[in-house]
Amino acid sequence: MRLRRTRVAEAASLPPLLCRWDLDKTYLRSEFDTLRQLIRTARERGEDKVEVPGVAELMKSLWAAARRQGRPVASYFISASPPQIGKAIREKLALDGVPYDGIVFKNQLRHIARGRFHLLREHVGFKLAELLRGRATALPGTRELLFGDDWESDPLTYSLYADVVAGRLAAAELLAIVSRLGVDEELLPDIGASAGRVCGADGVERIFINLERRTPPAVFRLFGPRLVPTFNYFQTALVLAADGWLAAEDVARVATELVDRCGFTPRRLENSLADLLRRRLMTSDVARRIAQPLRGVGLLPPEPRSWRAWLERVRARLRPPPTLAPQTGPLDWDAILARLRPRRAASIPATRQV
Amino acid sequence: MPTIAVDAMGSAEHAEAAVRGVAEVSVRTAIECVLVGDERRIQSLLEQLPYNPEQIAIRHCSGEDDRPERSLAAPWRRGSSLWQALRAVVERRADAVVSGAPASVCLRAASQQFTTIPGVHQPALATVFPRRHAPNQDPLALLLDAGASARCQVRDLVLFAAMGHAYARCVSKVASPRVGLLNMGRDAAVGDDMLVEAYRRLADVSGLDFVGNVVGADLIGDKADVVVCEGFVGAVAASLLDGLAAKLGEAGRVPSDSTLLGRMGLRRLGQGAPDPEAWFDERGYGGAPILGYQQLLVVCRRWDVRTVANAVKVAAKAVRDQVPAALADAVSATAR
Repeated sequence: MRLRRTRVAEAASLPPLLCRWDLDKTYLRSEFDTLRQLIRTARERGEDKVEVPGVAELMKSLWAAARRQGRPVASYFISASPPQIGKAIREKLALDGVPYDGIVFKNQLRHIARGRFHLLREHVGFKLAELLRGRATALPGTRELLFGDDWESDPLTYSLYADVVAGRLAAAELLAIVSRLGVDEELLPDIGASAGRVCGADGVERIFINLERRTPPAVFRLFGPRLVPTFNYFQTALVLAADGWLAAEDVARVATELVDRCGFTPRRLENSLADLLRRRLMTSDVARRIAQPLRGVGLLPPEPRSWRAWLERVRARLRPPPTLAPQTGPLDWDAILARLRPRRAASIPATRQV
Repeated sequence: MPTIAVDAMGSAEHAEAAVRGVAEVSVRTAIECVLVGDERRIQSLLEQLPYNPEQIAIRHCSGEDDRPERSLAAPWRRGSSLWQALRAVVERRADAVVSGAPASVCLRAASQQFTTIPGVHQPALATVFPRRHAPNQDPLALLLDAGASARCQVRDLVLFAAMGHAYARCVSKVASPRVGLLNMGRDAAVGDDMLVEAYRRLADVSGLDFVGNVVGADLIGDKADVVVCEGFVGAVAASLLDGLAAKLGEAGRVPSDSTLLGRMGLRRLGQGAPDPEAWFDERGYGGAPILGYQQLLVVCRRWDVRTVANAVKVAAKAVRDQVPAALADAVSATAR
């Protein structure tokens, strides 16, 4: 199974790419729904840990594609897990051959030592502070891709961060929102200062949310078209390819991994692609362009040649174009907070709409 | 893994039940489904639900019609979702069909698309119903024909018995299913000439554990695992069981709700006893397969999320257990 490699770009003139990943449920299939699972997860070694199907190949592909394009690339993990599991995580990353530049863990022991147990599960403040801090040290013009999951508050945290970076949310407005969310008050000065530094820097291209819990995609409509909920990393790779971050050969690498090691079939990959088209996250023309090489090597079923299939392709072309336009207007944060945390949003007087 | 085409036809509620049922199946099992209906409507419903897109394909059909009488009048209409669902099986894009269209509509459409098993002249609608059973015995018995056609001939009754026997062995895993002929008395000589002749022929079929005639009271007993009869009689019997269960459930509820003593006693007592209505509720058993074709079609009389999900599972199980091949073997053995 071979695909022709795309030509390596000559000049390194493209803006740098910064990828930031959540760890649990995004990269790793961590189970900590019960205390027993939590203890087992904490005691796991690197080789015991299991990654989400296709994620390691996607990470490597992003890195390789950026290199081919002559684009500087950096990849970081921001995890709310305690630093005590860091050794096992680094072992796992080494086993998978995943390139990365750093991992930030949340110091949970600090909260336990001070008896602030309610902050153990509060990750918005921690992640936001780390995202903003990291961005403040990034090169100007950096483009960003953020990867999270639907288990905790990644969509909210990433969208807040992206709006600040896009200049649509001022530091004061951000602080009002995070105060409503009940984040660690000690983090507020840091968040405010960092937000002031990076506000308007721009560059968050996409937020990918891995629907590990199978959360209905409609739930994320409030976050706008910048946030893309995907059910597997083949879908993520396809959207990245449609955006130009990956080539068809990179998508094929992810697909091959899913078929060879994770029990996917060409038909299941085809269904995943069709789902993206129906959700209007890609145009049919782009999908055909990306899928063609995959069909050639048997990763997707061959395109049917009947008149019905031809009619279907014509019909797909006549569909309204997908809403791939970048986020332009501000998000309705009051609506988002009311949806995500109804009790808290109801109990605290709303700030003005941002 | 089997792929089941689900007819997401008709009204908005009908389509919603189909989509919800399929979404549930996609999250909880490895069964793949093809939803056949209006793509936009299906997708907008799907996005509101937890689902697994890897296991769901949508086959668009533009000829949707919300009026069931239209479907009744023209089941062969090429644009209809039922037609498209059957087509998906013929084109080998799916292994079986689940539909909530009336059985008569399904039969007319299937007769134009599916191929009958050689030797079968008349397909049968096979429905399951709960019966008294011993420990380790299947709690459900199979009744066919439950209304695919009103009348039939002796040879059809014999083939119904052979197909029901094979189905019970494959799907219900009954090692040697006992087959009974529904009649007005237990003696071999009762009934009209056709039933007497059918009794004689069934008793001669080798490999068939024929237990003789069964009467209405035996239906919910444990005398037979498979009961064969004409479609007219089968439909009445199935419908009678449904109605009786509903009435029994209602009879238990009325005194418990109407008086204080009833509320105190009967409700508590009722919590320990099975609800007859739930016991007979076909939603728990999925739909009724039409036997006699080389392809599989499961028909659901009710159409809600639970029925759709269970019907898809029944269809997938039948595909996995290679029911059409087993039926063909049984029919050819009977013909010999």
